[in-house]
Amino acid sequence: MTLQPQGLTRTDYLTRRGSLAVVKPPAGVVDVAAADPEALEPFVLVDADGTVTAFNGHVDLGTGIRTALAQIVAEELDVGFARVTMVLGDTALTPDQGPTIASETIQITAPALRRAAAQARHALLARAAERLDVPAPELVVEDGVVRRRTTGSGGATGESGADAAAAAGDNRFVTYGELIGDERIVLALAEDVPVKPVSEHRIVGRSQPRVDLPAKATGGLVYVHDVRVPGMLHGRVVRPPYAGVDIGDFVGTSLIAVDESSIAHIPGIVAVVVIGDFVGIVAEREENAEAAMRTLRVAWKPTPKLPDLDDLAGALTRNPSTPRVLLDQGDVDGALAGAAKRMPREYLWPYQMHASIGPSCAVADLSEGRLRAWSGSQNPVWLRADLAKLMDLPEAAVEIVRLEAAGCYGRNCADDVTADAALLARAVGRPVRVQLTRDQEHAWEPKGAAQLMTVDGGLNADGTVAAYDFQTRYPSNASPTLALLLTGKVAAGATVLQMGDRTAIGPYDFANKRVVCHDMAPIVRAAWLRGVSALPNTFAHECYIDELAAEAGVDPIEYRLRYLKDQRARELVQQLAARAEWEPHVGARLREDPDGIRRGRGFAYALYVHSKFPGYGAAWAAWVADVAVDTRTGEVALTKITVGQDSGLMINPDGVRHQIQGNVIQSTSRVLKEEVTFTDVAVASREWGAYPILTFPELPPIDVMMVPRPNDDPLGVGESASVPSAAAIANAVYDATGVRFRELPLTPERVLAGLRAAGVAPPAPAAAASSLPPAARPEKPSRLRTVVWPLVAAAIGAVGSIGVVTLPWRGAIAPIPRPEPSVFSAATIERGRVLAHLGACFVCHTAEGGVPLAGGLRLDTPFGVITTTNITPDVETGIGAWSYPAFERAMREGLHRNGRHLYPAFPYTSYAKTTDADLQALYAFLMSVPAVRHATPAPEFSFPFDQRPLMALWNTMFHKAAPFTPDPTKSELWNRGFYLVEGLGHCSACHTPRNAMGAEESGARRFSGGVAEGWDAPALNRDSRAPVPWDETAFYDYLRTGWSRHHGAAAGPMAPIVAELKVLPDDDIRAMAHYLASLGDAPKAAAEIEALAAAREAAAAARAGTPVSVPGGRMFDGACAVCHEPGKGAALYGTKPSLALVTAVQSDTPDTVLRVMLEGIHPPGLGELGAMPSFADHLSDWQIAEIARYVRGRFAPERAAWTDLEATVARLRAQVRTR
Amino acid sequence: MTVHDPLISLHVNGETHRLRLPGSTPLLSVLRNDLGLNGPKFGCGIGECGSCTVLVDGVAARACVLHLADVAGHRVTTLEGLGGPDSLHPVQAAFVETAGAQCGYCLNGMIMTTAALLDANPDPSEDQIREALRFNLCRCGTHVEILAAVRLAAEWRRR
Repeated sequence: MTLQPQGLTRTDYLTRRGSLAVVKPPAGVVDVAAADPEALEPFVLVDADGTVTAFNGHVDLGTGIRTALAQIVAEELDVGFARVTMVLGDTALTPDQGPTIASETIQITAPALRRAAAQARHALLARAAERLDVPAPELVVEDGVVRRRTTGSGGATGESGADAAAAAGDNRFVTYGELIGDERIVLALAEDVPVKPVSEHRIVGRSQPRVDLPAKATGGLVYVHDVRVPGMLHGRVVRPPYAGVDIGDFVGTSLIAVDESSIAHIPGIVAVVVIGDFVGIVAEREENAEAAMRTLRVAWKPTPKLPDLDDLAGALTRNPSTPRVLLDQGDVDGALAGAAKRMPREYLWPYQMHASIGPSCAVADLSEGRLRAWSGSQNPVWLRADLAKLMDLPEAAVEIVRLEAAGCYGRNCADDVTADAALLARAVGRPVRVQLTRDQEHAWEPKGAAQLMTVDGGLNADGTVAAYDFQTRYPSNASPTLALLLTGKVAAGATVLQMGDRTAIGPYDFANKRVVCHDMAPIVRAAWLRGVSALPNTFAHECYIDELAAEAGVDPIEYRLRYLKDQRARELVQQLAARAEWEPHVGARLREDPDGIRRGRGFAYALYVHSKFPGYGAAWAAWVADVAVDTRTGEVALTKITVGQDSGLMINPDGVRHQIQGNVIQSTSRVLKEEVTFTDVAVASREWGAYPILTFPELPPIDVMMVPRPNDDPLGVGESASVPSAAAIANAVYDATGVRFRELPLTPERVLAGLRAAGVAPPAPAAAASSLPPAARPEKPSRLRTVVWPLVAAAIGAVGSIGVVTLPWRGAIAPIPRPEPSVFSAATIERGRVLAHLGACFVCHTAEGGVPLAGGLRLDTPFGVITTTNITPDVETGIGAWSYPAFERAMREGLHRNGRHLYPAFPYTSYAKTTDADLQALYAFLMSVPAVRHATPAPEFSFPFDQRPLMALWNTMFHKAAPFTPDPTKSELWNRGFYLVEGLGHCSACHTPRNAMGAEESGARRFSGGVAEGWDAPALNRDSRAPVPWDETAFYDYLRTGWSRHHGAAAGPMAPIVAELKVLPDDDIRAMAHYLASLGDAPKAAAEIEALAAAREAAAAARAGTPVSVPGGRMFDGACAVCHEPGKGAALYGTKPSLALVTAVQSDTPDTVLRVMLEGIHPPGLGELGAMPSFADHLSDWQIAEIARYVRGRFAPERAAWTDLEATVARLRAQVRTR
Repeated sequence: MTVHDPLISLHVNGETHRLRLPGSTPLLSVLRNDLGLNGPKFGCGIGECGSCTVLVDGVAARACVLHLADVAGHRVTTLEGLGGPDSLHPVQAAFVETAGAQCGYCLNGMIMTTAALLDANPDPSEDQIREALRFNLCRCGTHVEILAAVRLAAEWRRR
């Protein structure tokens, strides 16, 4: 099922018999019935079957406008609401009514629809009058059935006209369907159609359940994300590194090269499409397109630095601009010069995001010269023009089928992704669905622009306002559709959008008043976001008048009313003040609870004036905000919001209420929490941790007051209730603390700094500002992105000097024909298979995406790069020509069949302990796997490590080739465990530190921790840093499932090891656990361990705050806590490991923790664990560093803080990238 | 999909599907693309927002960070599995009744998380409801109606 019919044309609708249509013809066309149906814009179509289809050029952005429009149509047509289907924003069908912006659908586009419905009703009534031979004024309609109205009775009497008519004996009726018959009736939309008086409304003005919700609640086809067309492929785009920037000559010109071979191993890639800086990938399967997008190596030119956006006011002031005087009345300069109290002020609004919950998505299909695009666009008609330009097609050859998308609240990436899909569909000649990723949507969506408002003004000696000199700076270019810029179709020039003027004039009638808008090109990609420029401008207007009132010694509401002339505004303000039980007061009251929490109350009012200047007003709105401010931490909580709105006639009152509440919640979130951050070249906020939005526990009580004005025209309600938010909250914080905050958002650190700067001290006795230890406190974000490359300081001198010694070259063992697998018993082969897994042969000898055991995996060792060899039984490139003695010699002595030495990256030092029987079984297994011809490159070592003969000496020094002999003083279980761990299991290879010559250290250093592929391999002996001791149970759980309740999950190189061990019988895993446990301290009782763990978890939980008042903590809350904060949020399937017990957090170096964040944890096929995703593309170096700093401080408070975190992230990121 | 991939059995909404796909395939993409289900939504891909929530053995799970192999042999329920337009599950019905959605993109996660919550705790307190939905993000600001829906669903369920 779909909410909206798809794939029909105007001709389909307008040529069918048995219908009555009201259409708008093109200029000059008189005979609409004879006109080309495709040229007619349909508004209302009544079918003879009793259904009604109505058309509106605007779209439903999730506000429920589809329902309200259907109510209007049903009302004017006098049909049941359920008969009406709305078609919205389909360029093939609907009228061109411009983009769905400024909440103007009901106010601006609906009147035509209403007239069309009324016109259809009048036409049908005229026919009924003729048919029934009753004058039209005597007829009454109910749900499309026309009857005679009894004299004196009408819709307003309360008695149904139909019942009255029946009572009067005239029970004749006729339906709309009968009146239409099989005729084709087409009417031109008239300008002067009488519409129903409000007194006769039966559907409009009454709450109507939304028509879209049942489908949305059951997984119906509603969203563009759900579109699937036959033959559809999946696309992803790779965006340039100047993420979120669309101005400058580097835009569209920065690509150097795309290395397609970097994704050769990913199956099902159909095409890599490169046009200018546009890079896209098309694949058969979505996850492969995604993997290819993350993997594709693309070389870009260096990205130019952004202006310093830490100094946002400076950046906005320095950005070239053109002043536009919007108002200049009285003598502003003179009045300012003569003011008794001059009060210059500056207000700063940050960059913010639309932050749609679903990243944008589109499907496009180009066939036979026609492009059809399924899109969630806000402005299908503009998008059609953009796509025509991009694809060199006439507009008539482009159709936008509009489906719902995640709420956008303005211009997000919906158009961008539609253009991306069009380019990819053209390249492959098939329909392509493109889904943007979370990081792409966050980074590239046109931001709600930052804005700087300066006010000069002041008071006369009598407390009246001397002058109001208001200037606003708004940087935007309306954000051209990205593909146009990336492909070079449109130059990324310094174009300017004049949209900073909304509500710039302000509501107060000051005699001397000047308003100037400084129009400017964008600094970063920015366009309209809910309350466009009006919300920032009102922040300044309404904070400033609050400051004036305080300075004048007058209650802020009373002071406003002195200058507020608009009668509806005055009534709203007064009614809201009464509703909220406003207590008149002067200045900040500084009310403090016994627990030191300050409480305050603030007021703000706005009429949202929008559209092209001077524009017009939507609904009136006002706020009373109650706040609590914790002067110890700087946290601001809303304790109540009382909001009033005058919306005129409310079509769907419940819908209006929901819009008001939605606006209140979203704008509260923006004011308290939201601010886009930047690296020195691009947008840094790329997920919900770095761009947090309001969560359920933070939701304040909201009291909504809707002013009933049914006899006034309906007004836009989609944004108005947002507009007073910031000022009301900031004014409340002032009332609580006496401090004016003129920059947003009101994050704890900003508020705390402001309070301290103003001398507001925390309540006595002075408590710690935060329960966090100092280690968790943030470092200032570094603008330096210099990567410090570690110097590989290999101590090679000693080896070098030995190099002069003449060393033997051992003999080759003659090649043999490949042994027949049939000579080995199935049981032997199976045993060998298990041993191969124990030895992790597959892990190293299989390239990513390669054939198992055929080699090709590159290993970075401190001494050079090794590519693992092919150990399938291919005679030329594998080990097919190896006899068992050659194999055994390799395993025990580290020699190739031809006699040369192998490097101990191949762990023959451990394998040597394997019994003969096991080695034979392993040989049998390897000889029985399919032979694969695959030559692998030689190692790339530098001197002296390229001198293989030196390895003979190395072996004399460090290697004992003796097989395992049981220790009779130990148990059988211990001996079995020893054999598995120390032999084929080769655990020590990673978990034991190595000396300068690469040999495992011995004695007490054995198992005291090492490094594996750049990851910490933690100590397994008494040096273990594990917060609670490992015991046999923990080792067993960890090796068997990849996870231990007390130690967390296997990650990095350990994850595949656990997967390999899956084939081992339980007894062997138990034996390994038993032996490993014997390496540590004397065992503790299970209950004691559990108590230790619980105590650590409780201590860590106690160090959490909500919201937490450091950036790392906030990011942890948004990005990590869902899985790593046991007890918070919903119970989730899989594990929810507390970091209080994770060993890596205790390590001296942060590398493993950082690597886990960069790479994620991907336990292959262990079940029930879930995976930890990689955050490399979502979090910046600084963000990862701050999260790690917080994690260390909170979960390992007794350990020293990690240092150089940001540089370490950069170094590790480079390693991850080049792998 | 290759011949190397094992057949994996996936139980979704009462039906068993046998899929020859790598065990590492994201569950979300299997549900949406291989099984054609619209309920679970792609929101972030990193487990943060909750749009993709499904139930695994009756417990809320984030399908974007689960792999096919993680749920093989377990019971997966999607929004479609709760109820259809003519057979609404009480939680779905409650969200429709209170208009617990504006754009509705987060609605899947809200409904699924609520269904799991009420199965585990039929009479949650206001704080427990808010806590359970803490990591389900809604951008439209529908929180008031969503909380009303959860309370209503709990009430209906108790009757």
